[in-house]
Amino acid sequence: MKKKEQEKLQHHIEAHELKKKKIPKGKHLLEVKDLKMYFHTQDGIVKAVDGVSYTLDKDETLGVVGESGSGKSVTAMTIMGLIEMPPGQIEGGDVLYRGKSLLSMTEKEMQGIRGNNIAMIFQDPMTALNPVYTIGRQLGEGLRVHMGYSRKQALARAEELLGMVGIPNAEQRVKDYPHQFSGGMRQRAMIAMALACDPDILIADEPTTALDVTIQAQIIELMQEMQDKNHNAIIMITHDLGVVADIADKIMVMYAGRPVEFGTADEIFYNPIHPYTWGLMRSIPEQATEEKKPLTPISGNPPSLVNVPKGCSFSPRCPYATARCKEEEPPVYKTESGHYSRCFFSGDKAFVEKNSPRTTRDVATGTRKKERKPQAALDDTTARAVQALKESQAATEASNTKQTKRG
Amino acid sequence: MANTTKEQPLLQVKHLTKEFPVESGVFGSRFAKHVSAVDDVSFNIYPRKTFGLVGESGCGKSTTGRCIMRLLRPTKGEVIFDGQDVAQLKKKELKAVRRNMQYIFQDPYASLNPRMTIGEIISEPMVIHNEGGSRAERIESVKKLLDVVGLNPEHINRYPHEFSGGQRQRIGIARAFALSPKLIICDEPVSALDVSIQAQVLNLLDGLQEAFGTAYLFIAHDLSVVQHISDEVAVMYLGNLMEYSDWRSLYAEPYHPYTQALLSAVPVPNPDIQKTRERIILAGDPPSPINPPKGCRFHTRCPIATEECKKERPPMKEVEAGHFCACWHAKPFPIEGSSVEL
Repeated sequence: MKKKEQEKLQHHIEAHELKKKKIPKGKHLLEVKDLKMYFHTQDGIVKAVDGVSYTLDKDETLGVVGESGSGKSVTAMTIMGLIEMPPGQIEGGDVLYRGKSLLSMTEKEMQGIRGNNIAMIFQDPMTALNPVYTIGRQLGEGLRVHMGYSRKQALARAEELLGMVGIPNAEQRVKDYPHQFSGGMRQRAMIAMALACDPDILIADEPTTALDVTIQAQIIELMQEMQDKNHNAIIMITHDLGVVADIADKIMVMYAGRPVEFGTADEIFYNPIHPYTWGLMRSIPEQATEEKKPLTPISGNPPSLVNVPKGCSFSPRCPYATARCKEEEPPVYKTESGHYSRCFFSGDKAFVEKNSPRTTRDVATGTRKKERKPQAALDDTTARAVQALKESQAATEASNTKQTKRG
Repeated sequence: MANTTKEQPLLQVKHLTKEFPVESGVFGSRFAKHVSAVDDVSFNIYPRKTFGLVGESGCGKSTTGRCIMRLLRPTKGEVIFDGQDVAQLKKKELKAVRRNMQYIFQDPYASLNPRMTIGEIISEPMVIHNEGGSRAERIESVKKLLDVVGLNPEHINRYPHEFSGGQRQRIGIARAFALSPKLIICDEPVSALDVSIQAQVLNLLDGLQEAFGTAYLFIAHDLSVVQHISDEVAVMYLGNLMEYSDWRSLYAEPYHPYTQALLSAVPVPNPDIQKTRERIILAGDPPSPINPPKGCRFHTRCPIATEECKKERPPMKEVEAGHFCACWHAKPFPIEGSSVEL
């Protein structure tokens, strides 16, 4: 190889070497420490990510759950160094990959890492794939850049990868353009592309949201298969608690830029301790076969990130909020196992016992029991409003008929 | 149908078929090919009940809704609403029928005119049908409607962009209820919303149905949402109805292999159950409706398809009282709670 080329590949080779090294003792594959990413906009400072912390090791899957605008995607983009700065600015915290800080790396060094060590799958495969290049060329791009493959080698590997993710007739399909693939196949191609350089960490940002359920089931199964084979870590960003239940080992629930609860999948589903997590669980219609139970939605709307409420950011929507919640920011309550929550009452066993939805793990009968307080679909004020509307409609109708009679 | 009372259906859809022409190129005959988006679909909707229509994207569920509203003219078949065949009506007659039939759209951003205030948007149905009394009376009832859907009546002069997605969907609901119609076609009304907001809107729809006695045709792809809101549920695949029944029977004892696969593909938010239950994962993608498979349209992906399925399309049969299924090999497949046993 010529010297110039070698120089060009330098960062990629370094990043590649990093993958093979042992993780230093006491360090994790990925460690996010109190990460803060703010956007400086005309309307003010948007605190998109405000104090996110977690650790991730090989073979682990972290599920990040939250509603739109809760900062799930921005966290992932910050890790990948994909946020444009300005307007974005890192206000604190760090991201350690195998003990090395990603945030202090130069752009060149990051280029070595992206796709090679940490890869990403995006929500919408149609916009994430380039429509004017063939699938094969896009699949091989990472290999050529990071590993110095020749065009031929890259194409051969692309074929292999397509076959691996279950696309039939791979040697023909590598010559196809993205529009010739169906939605599910495009997402498979995206997964193949992300896995091309055998990354340590795979970040999947709502990978199944745009897909139908039967295709979603295929994709999730594929991701699990690939993890069993390659032993990578996965960060699964989604709003669907069902998807998370399927795939995640650890779960982080985000609200208004902050993780409000973090724990193992078992802890989050069977022993949640934050009222927002409870609210989410009560909001999903369950597949019952006997009686339908009314949903208990979370009232109000998610806050604007420019103007996060004082105290606990969930307090305006929280049915249990006290005066203190509206004034003071709750500290992080942490149990021995690492399960943590940002709520004053998380440590209060009696309170949690009384108010949390109970999802029981009754696998034997296969039924899911959730206790819900019976509640009318419409609250009192709405019911009164309905009554008023009906009366006025009746009145106008009556006056209309009178008029027509007269006429 | 599972309706035990001998009530007259509000809406009867009989053998509804909608074909769209596809241009086949510069040479040769244009429009030689057709996509049969909806093919021979029949069902009834009863007053004050919710009829859920589920299926994957491209299966023709929205086209069915649009044909009923006559936003599209059906190629074949009848849509009988209130004793009139909507499919054959003239424009003027349609207006009268549509007074009792309203539509809630999926996209709360695209379905509200950005240049109109929400007061104008919600009162428009009253203006078009010349109802609701004087201008002042209309404003009064718009305010009451806003109150009903949980918005502040003082916001009557605001524009759609000042509202969040969930609030806009509430505006759409207020508009649909402005004339208290007999039937509202809800086309994926909650799929663009976040979970917590989705639950609010579902509860609102539920409560308004109880209060006003409206029937819903609820079109959605989310099986849990459809189950929650519907009295009867129909499953569509590639333009055909596969199975329909009252919700309890369909979810507890689906007969059609497609319904079974669909139900087992929905991830259950309970790790122990989700990780242990057996699932049917369908291979491949739905075929193109331009060239649908012969026989049963599902046979290319069906785990139990036989020669018979490839040759002839199975008729809709009553497999149980009120439970209809179009499959040669229909058999119950009990899904206890949410776990699937094979």
